[in-house]
Amino acid sequence: MIWLRIAGCVLVTASCGALGILKARQWRSHRQMLERLRRMVYLLRGEILYAMSPLQEALERVGGKSDGPAAVWFCRVAERLKRQEGETFSRIWREELDRQAKAMLLSPGEAAELAEFGEHLGYLDVGMQERTIALYLEQLDLSIGFLREHEQERTRMCACLGIMGGLFLSVLLC
Amino acid sequence: MVKKDELLRIFAGSVRELLREAAPDWEKVQEIRLRVGRPVFVVSGGKEYVLTKEGLRRMDAARPSAEAPGRPRADSVLPPSGNTGAAKHFPPQTYMATQQDLRETLEYVGSHSLYAFEDEIRQGFITIQGGHRIGLAGKTVMDARGIRTIKYISFLNVRLAHQVRGCADKILPYLFENGQALHALFVSPPRCGKTTLLRDVIRQLSDGLTVGVVDERSELAACWQGIPQNDLGDRTDVLDCCPKASGMMMLVRSMSPDVIAVDEIGSREDIDAMRYVMNCGCRVLATVHGDSAEAVAKKPVLGEMVSEGMFDRYILLSSRRGVGTVEEIRDRTGRRLYPEKGDCL
Repeated sequence: MIWLRIAGCVLVTASCGALGILKARQWRSHRQMLERLRRMVYLLRGEILYAMSPLQEALERVGGKSDGPAAVWFCRVAERLKRQEGETFSRIWREELDRQAKAMLLSPGEAAELAEFGEHLGYLDVGMQERTIALYLEQLDLSIGFLREHEQERTRMCACLGIMGGLFLSVLLC
Repeated sequence: MVKKDELLRIFAGSVRELLREAAPDWEKVQEIRLRVGRPVFVVSGGKEYVLTKEGLRRMDAARPSAEAPGRPRADSVLPPSGNTGAAKHFPPQTYMATQQDLRETLEYVGSHSLYAFEDEIRQGFITIQGGHRIGLAGKTVMDARGIRTIKYISFLNVRLAHQVRGCADKILPYLFENGQALHALFVSPPRCGKTTLLRDVIRQLSDGLTVGVVDERSELAACWQGIPQNDLGDRTDVLDCCPKASGMMMLVRSMSPDVIAVDEIGSREDIDAMRYVMNCGCRVLATVHGDSAEAVAKKPVLGEMVSEGMFDRYILLSSRRGVGTVEEIRDRTGRRLYPEKGDCL
């Protein structure tokens, strides 16, 4: 009987610890996702400022060059723009973002910033696009900076909390 | 062939639906004009129609009857300005384009990215998929370099591209001598078909010769995303939206063409570039506005080339017997090659 209890405690502690580690990894994946998004926005900026590509073409190309959920999102927006079914760009951008935000691991705040970025894309001249993209990149840099700054402590904290929580549960169950 | 759905997609929702329901013969439609607060006009087969909620109606049908000239029909529609002139009365249910319609149409024309068409807007037109051209007018914004952009765009003219294959069949023999292509200048007033004719000449020449086209206004090839929407043949290279003078130099240096074609020449730079190209051994095909060879000879810059006999052929067009009527073909000395007695092209 005692061996069963010990085995149960070990399993509970291990699974809670694994949960903590998983949570810590999510933090890192979130940061990596934002970094990938930043790379894509840089590419988008190149397409718009250097090649003067329209949004549909620029999004299609950048989406094709990248991978992950953000790339899928870019391609979907481009596809809907291509179909030209009488929808505004900001609506398409927002709707596709809503579909993909979860897979992109975006927080509500980050999703709102990204949606707002889409509201202003395509408006007025190239100078305006440059400023809009620069502003969003600044916001993205802040988010990435925050995630990176707290990554180590969060990772450690999540792992510790997981293991400690597991131990606590084990004590309670015993 | 006009791809109907492709074209309809550029219009604002309400106009799009009405046009879809009106179902005009797209092969005959030449222009669709949108003006804020005015009816949507459709020019088809040389006749003008207005777009109504019940389809297309001929303008004549809306005019007051002969018995009561000047009196509008009871059910006719007045434009918002309220001009009571007879010709200003439109059929019942006439659709008046709104500012929102134009704004929306412009969004779709520019693929939600008007910044990418800054240069085109400055020139007053945008070329879309299919080679159709959207003419724009509104309030121009100027800066030190000239027109910066057009704002309050309240007038749109959608000009549908219709390539006329084979329209150059009969003049082609005049463009060769001893199996060699010749330098040729196509002269006509606007809307008499010189660009259409030049396009077909390019297409046919590229059956055996390498042709370079400098398409400054995207009229010849009507490139969309770099791909010619008009058929210019298998051996044709196109430099799209490029100033003619620098474009000709670039083509000679990089694409080694046998023939270079340009549309609407006139400036000193164009003429100097053409001289350079001719001295490089390339043949030049060009068009110019004018109603006679004499008028071209009097043009300040181009006249020099004419007097020096640099062009081997002058093809003069008019719309006397329909667009693209060939009035005369002359050689470099001014001798008339066509029409000879009984000739008719």
